[in-house]
Amino acid sequence: MGIQPTELVVSNTDEPEVKSQDVAGRSPTQIALDRLRHDKIAMVCLAVVAVFVLIAIFAPLLTDLFGVELEGGDPVTDTKADSFPAIGPPDYGFTWEAPLGLEPRTGNDLLAEWFYGARTSLGVATFATVAATLMGIVIGLVAGFARGWLDRVIAFVIDIFLSLPFILVALALAPIIVSRFGAQPERLEFVQLCALLFVLSVFGWMTLARLIRGEVLSLREREFVQAARVIGVPTRSILFKELLPNLVAPIVVSISLGLPAFVTAEAGLAFLGIGVVGIPSWGQTVNRAVEFFSTYPLFLYAPVVGICLLVIALNLLGDAVRDAFDPKTRR
Amino acid sequence: MTQPEVAAAPASTDGSGQRPILEVTNLRKYFPVQSAGVIRRTIGHVQAVDGVSFQVEQGGALGLVGESGCGKSTTGRLITRLLDPTSGSMKFNGREIGNLSNKQMLPLRKEIQMIFQDPYSSLNPRHTVGTIVGTPLRVHKMVPDKQVLTRVKELLEVVGLNPEHYNRYPSEFSGGQRQRIGVARALALQPKVLVADEPVSALDVSIQAQVVNLLQDVQKEFNIAFLFIAHDLAVVRHFCPDVAVMYLGKIVEIADRETLYARPHHPYTQALLSAVPDVKQAAIGGRRERIRLEGDVPSPVNPPSGCRFRTRCWMAQDICAKQEPPLLQIGPKHKVACHFAGEYGAMPTSPITLDALGVDQHGTPVSGAAPSTEDLIKPGFSDAYTNLETHKSSSERLVGDRIVDDPKGEGTATEK
Ligand SMILES: Nc1ncnc2c1ncn2[C@@H]1O[C@H](COP(=O)(O)OP(=O)(O)O)[C@@H](O)[C@H]1O
Ligand code: SF4
Ligand SMILES: [Mg+2]
Repeated sequence: MGIQPTELVVSNTDEPEVKSQDVAGRSPTQIALDRLRHDKIAMVCLAVVAVFVLIAIFAPLLTDLFGVELEGGDPVTDTKADSFPAIGPPDYGFTWEAPLGLEPRTGNDLLAEWFYGARTSLGVATFATVAATLMGIVIGLVAGFARGWLDRVIAFVIDIFLSLPFILVALALAPIIVSRFGAQPERLEFVQLCALLFVLSVFGWMTLARLIRGEVLSLREREFVQAARVIGVPTRSILFKELLPNLVAPIVVSISLGLPAFVTAEAGLAFLGIGVVGIPSWGQTVNRAVEFFSTYPLFLYAPVVGICLLVIALNLLGDAVRDAFDPKTRR
Repeated sequence: MTQPEVAAAPASTDGSGQRPILEVTNLRKYFPVQSAGVIRRTIGHVQAVDGVSFQVEQGGALGLVGESGCGKSTTGRLITRLLDPTSGSMKFNGREIGNLSNKQMLPLRKEIQMIFQDPYSSLNPRHTVGTIVGTPLRVHKMVPDKQVLTRVKELLEVVGLNPEHYNRYPSEFSGGQRQRIGVARALALQPKVLVADEPVSALDVSIQAQVVNLLQDVQKEFNIAFLFIAHDLAVVRHFCPDVAVMYLGKIVEIADRETLYARPHHPYTQALLSAVPDVKQAAIGGRRERIRLEGDVPSPVNPPSGCRFRTRCWMAQDICAKQEPPLLQIGPKHKVACHFAGEYGAMPTSPITLDALGVDQHGTPVSGAAPSTEDLIKPGFSDAYTNLETHKSSSERLVGDRIVDDPKGEGTATEK
């Protein structure tokens, strides 16, 4: 009925075309990535981050390559009577046997610890970012699109989470878990890790959810959303196919802010002793290295440099990504 | 190029399209106004659309004209069920659609489509043209998935765009081309009714005619009924055989094109028309005097009592504040809602609506006089109507009486 494909008639237009060179169009995301590709600082930072990612992924391979071993120290053979390592810094020169030296007292290799620390740091930060972003997106979309009480309930929950002190919750959670699972050390490690990921994610989604809710509130009045509704596009498709692609910029911004923040948070919690246990982490290394700083500064420098380099690279990369995706904020 | 299906449709008439495909009766939409603060109380209502009745014939076109804020878009959104009506009835092909749920409405979405005002916000900037035009095809499974692209290209061709541009983004097109994409999207579902909400208002004047021509072509080609919304009478003139004029949520005059443009009877229509340049009159050297309306459109939250136009009407009298003028049919295809409806400069001196309302000249109900039983909210036109010529003579008699009466120092009987 109505329009038959065979009966279509070409009506002509003499309106000039805006562009006629390349037929394939470029999406705003493609344009943003192009812009990013021409940003030198961004590319350098991306390389740095990529190196860290490779280290994290290939930590076991790298330790083998350097002939070091995680927690392979023997306090008797590897440390002297004053508990300082028997080889390498601080008392002897550089040695390939332990490029970053050994840990005092235990004699564990610090390079292996550093490699695995990178793994923990990036792994935790990535997981928390992904989880927090997904939560933020879904909750923000629903809050923005739902009118009435659901929107108000979600706004209230967001406010509650924003007002809960993150450190306090993390501090309170640690002893609870320890007292609960203290009897089974293998379970405890895993539960501690899960708790850490949970706490980080649960405290990381609100800002994005708020941002997305605000964006959706303005987007949903746009006529293309009305058009989708007139066509009969199901609400879920409107949210995820019509609205979500328009939220790339805030999501990218949120991820770029989230990653370095979670790296810092993981290290900070580990330093306080309420992060991961039984798994190497830069934060824990820093914690143990502080008391040796005057005599054995390399012990402290290695993890600190790791954290700083990663966070700075992520932050600068994030700045560049934000500029590329949202040219209006460009300085 | 008549489609067999269309020809076979139960056309109850001679094919001139007399069957209403869309029938709207006494449609209302009140938006609640809520107080600020935590506990939101409803403190009033925006009477955006307040008792509107009209009908659109199969393949016909009704123009809906009025100043911005008078409720045109709200009417369009009610018909496309983007909004739920507060009350009233909307019938598509005889079937009530005002109370359908989203789910029940889904199959009907194919039949009633919409073209939007702003070509810069009506297309998703993150989707290619192919996706935009293909979405309705996929949602309603109009064609098998594999043929969607072919169909999209055909549709782009129909609206005068290069079909090879399907993988471009809206930002790569001009305003007029974007509006064409919007038309292609609406046509994808082969609708029977198209609500065009100021489809050319946002375009350059030079482009407007092209888009209107395109709409005219598709209307003829595919026999689509149009509700064409515009904010001035010039745009709809060549498009719509029927025109309704809205003011503050109500239709104040509705007539066929010839009557409305040549002999408008409502002061508001006369004012609107005086702003439209008239080629014919300019040619014979005459110039219509421009009627300037004073004041602003009152708020739809608190509309004036009686006639809503009275705060700006140069003819307003006592009765206008007391009694709301009903939309009275005064010609074969002409309805007007004014107590003193008449041609500009020759308006009657006594209200024409007294019989219909059962009131006296000052708007006070006359005891015993029942309001006429004429169905004043019915969409469409009846065969019988109030004849203004007979009214005129009787009203002159009435006024004459009073002139005779007054020197005696007593009012007429009805006044006391
Ligand atoms: N969603 C809404 N909520 C509250 N008021 C609205 C809403 N939509 C429209 N209105 C009001 O209804 C009236 C009519 O609006 P609209 O139909 O858009 O007018 P038009 O299209 O004729 O310019 C306006 O006063 C407007 O402020
Ligand atoms: S009813 Fe009265 S106020 Fe309203 S348009 Fe007619 S004359 Fe003017
Ligand atoms: Mg409007």
